[in-house]
Amino acid sequence: MKSAFLRLDRITKRFRNVVAVDNVSLDVGKGEFIVLLGPSGCGKTTTLRIIAGLEIPDEGRVYIDGIDVTDLEPGDRDVAMVFQDYALYPHMSVFDNIAFPLVVRRSKLRLGKKDIEGKVLKVARMLGIDGLLDRKPTQLSGGQQQRVALARALVREPKVWLMDEPLSNLDALIRVQVRAELKKLQKDLGITTVYVTHDQIEALTLADRIAVMNKGRVLQVGSPKEVYEDPEHVFVATFIGSPPMNILECEATKETLECPGFSKPLPPDTVNLQGKLYIGIRPEHIEIVSGSINEDVVRAKVYVVEPLGAEYIVNVMVGGEIVKVKTSKELPLNPGDTTYLRINWNKVTIFDPETGRFIGKLLDVNTP
Amino acid sequence: MRLAKHLRPLIFLTPPFTLIAVFVIYPILATFYFSFYDKNSGLLNLNNYREVLLSTNPLNMIIARSFSYIPPWGALFHNLVWIALHVPIVTFLGLIIAYLLKYHVRGGTIIKAMLFLGIVIPPAVGGLIIRFMFEANIGVIPLIFSYLGVESLSKTWVARPQTALLALILGSVWLWLGFSVTIFSAAMETIPRSHIEAARVFGASTWRIFYSVVTPQLKPAIIVVIVMTLLWDLKIFDVVYASTGGGPGGSTSVLALVMYNYFARGLDYYKSAAVAIILTLLVLPLIILIIRRERV
Amino acid sequence: MKRNLISKRAIRTLALNVVVWLFALAWILPFIGLITVSILPYREVIVKGWFRVPDLNSLTLNNYVEALRNPLYDLATSYRNSLIVASLSSIIPVIAAALAAYAFTNLDFRLKALLFATILFIMMVPQQLTVVPLFLLYRNLGLYDTFQGIILLHSAWGIAWVTFFLRNYFKFIPKSLVEAARVDGASEITIFYRVILPLSIPALIAALIMQFTWVWNDLFYALVFLASGDKQVITQKVVMLKGEYHVDWGLLTAGSIISMSTPLILYMVFNKYFMRGVAAWGVKR
Repeated sequence: MKSAFLRLDRITKRFRNVVAVDNVSLDVGKGEFIVLLGPSGCGKTTTLRIIAGLEIPDEGRVYIDGIDVTDLEPGDRDVAMVFQDYALYPHMSVFDNIAFPLVVRRSKLRLGKKDIEGKVLKVARMLGIDGLLDRKPTQLSGGQQQRVALARALVREPKVWLMDEPLSNLDALIRVQVRAELKKLQKDLGITTVYVTHDQIEALTLADRIAVMNKGRVLQVGSPKEVYEDPEHVFVATFIGSPPMNILECEATKETLECPGFSKPLPPDTVNLQGKLYIGIRPEHIEIVSGSINEDVVRAKVYVVEPLGAEYIVNVMVGGEIVKVKTSKELPLNPGDTTYLRINWNKVTIFDPETGRFIGKLLDVNTP
Repeated sequence: MRLAKHLRPLIFLTPPFTLIAVFVIYPILATFYFSFYDKNSGLLNLNNYREVLLSTNPLNMIIARSFSYIPPWGALFHNLVWIALHVPIVTFLGLIIAYLLKYHVRGGTIIKAMLFLGIVIPPAVGGLIIRFMFEANIGVIPLIFSYLGVESLSKTWVARPQTALLALILGSVWLWLGFSVTIFSAAMETIPRSHIEAARVFGASTWRIFYSVVTPQLKPAIIVVIVMTLLWDLKIFDVVYASTGGGPGGSTSVLALVMYNYFARGLDYYKSAAVAIILTLLVLPLIILIIRRERV
Repeated sequence: MKRNLISKRAIRTLALNVVVWLFALAWILPFIGLITVSILPYREVIVKGWFRVPDLNSLTLNNYVEALRNPLYDLATSYRNSLIVASLSSIIPVIAAALAAYAFTNLDFRLKALLFATILFIMMVPQQLTVVPLFLLYRNLGLYDTFQGIILLHSAWGIAWVTFFLRNYFKFIPKSLVEAARVDGASEITIFYRVILPLSIPALIAALIMQFTWVWNDLFYALVFLASGDKQVITQKVVMLKGEYHVDWGLLTAGSIISMSTPLILYMVFNKYFMRGVAAWGVKR
């Protein structure tokens, strides 16, 4: 087992009766960009704050670069944090804000005034804000403030970079732009980064690996491709992907799969399935076809069509459930029309309804 | 050299709390002790309290033996009457004026500033001004009554037991109104304009809006005003000392003044401590109420 | 029909305005009387009253001069005394209270709830509760009838409410600022004077002004702890202007105005701070 640069070992944190972080273990490699992804209240921010030292875990240890930092002050861990509201000091200039971490430990780090100036300028140039150094934070735009926050986090050249939803306060357009720059910056500098967000698109674009969390637990850790294509839990499957994966409650008997609105005969060499199941199909793995000749096709009624510019999300009713289909074809469909779906059974994922865990994938079924 | 985490609060807490411990906590505890110290026998008992509560000397009296329509009724009752009149008047009047100033009258800021003067000046001077207001031939009130031909009310109010206490109470309304108006005005600022406008659209009259829309939302502020005024009225000293000194004949005596008299005139420290404790006991329920509401 | 309604409303608004303004003018009538009597010779006021336009020839500042200079009254010295006592009694508690307020807002410690309850308790308790033992103690320590003695007392007393006041203000400073500074390695004291204090200047000023006014206006502690003429403060001296049987209102009104002058000036200059300070009681966070 290669030694991780940042390691969380069975971290548990309780607030009164609520378990915010439930036995979380995580290994992060040096220079890796890992994203903690999940809905509000899933424990991702608490986990981040535990790494920072702003919260003390009830159980478990935190290791940074081989050192057990669990009992260390935030200021002694050599981590830097970017807060959701940037936490810029409104009464100080941009320069003083960025210089603050250095000034505060001036004697410890043996830095003279010139040294500090040099470091601040270097970081400011890197982020393109060297022209703003005299201004106060309130005079800057959201994007500029964010860069100042990043600069302040970088000026110390920390071991770990922690970010708590830093882009969520930015306008959508700027957010996309800053996202790309952030990724490049991190790659260039090679700083180990832990990034918290609830936005799965952000996670998919930025991360080397994503840790999907819900209710205090880590459900899956994997590369963006892995969590998208091979979700290990139904929550992961539905959280990642836009629009989310369709989940149908089906029942498997010895020879057939009974789903709401249709059934599928199971070939003899499929994985042994019994009882109630969750069948997961991504909208892009369903095709809309004409005609019902082929028995492999499912009959559905159009509910509504959502045009997205280059694509269409066709919402159809199958046996009382709404199923979303993503297609790039412009089809003459109106609500109430009858249409036919062909499911790509290769890509279907099966989950256990009790635990949510991944059971397996359905093997290919011959199509005429 | 970083101080251990659990010791860090000490740097911040030691200077203020040392001062408090020496100059506030210790004296409070000592006063408590003194109040039970019987200087005749050297024992601890309730004698001070007994003598203080049962005293019939009108200048020291806390509870009178017999009651007539005219004070003195004992300092305790004077305080209670003060509260009974002062608190409601200041609250209702304050609400009405704050309401009118906000929604109907121009130049509210100036008026509020004028009313607030009563809080800014030393209460002792306030007492002098009250006396001035009720002084025969000079004071506004007696002058008005002499024009109206009411002979008995155009004499110096503070010189006659029938009117002295009333004069002080009315005067304290004059002093204190700015407080309630300021607080209510601030609280009214937080009422969304849309509530008022919606009520107008529904056809509510001004009085109705005041009664049903504005006042209910002001409940916390009303509680603050009532509690603060109550406390002020129980503890009142400066105003009385400066204007009447407790007279005439003890008809304006108040608890704090009784405490002071035992201390300064009677040089009886232990009795004065007992009065201080009695005063504190009256105030205690309010203190507990406030502490409960505030949480760290 | 509509036109009638509109003018009805306008009339009512006008009437309300008139009533309220008359009320306000009646309300400051005592002050007007105060000023008028102070600039007229009292003999004249007795004869002619003051509720009239004064004869410009008889205007005089004699009452003021008497109040200030006459060694019997000596308001000038007591004015200076009040200034000294009030200034020091505001600076000390505001600094001490800022420290306490920081601890209550940003630090965790075991006795937090108890200490805070103590603060609230002290804020509400009557002044009378502390004087007897302190008086005896001061006499033994030689602090009786000294400035130091009363300044220390006022400071200790003031720490309580200023702590409460500042803590309510500190709460509004985003916690992320403090946490960011901690992650960057700043010590708590550094955070206190580099982050919190600079951002609290309006509140600090308001506290200073209100505490100054409170101490200036105090009478009770002054009566107990200051005895000699050269130490007494202006509130005491003004009350002494009132004779036992005969009151010279010219003198008394002049003295009143002198003693009110400082709080009034502060109020006019820092009006905003006063109103905000009191208004804060009415608006819950």
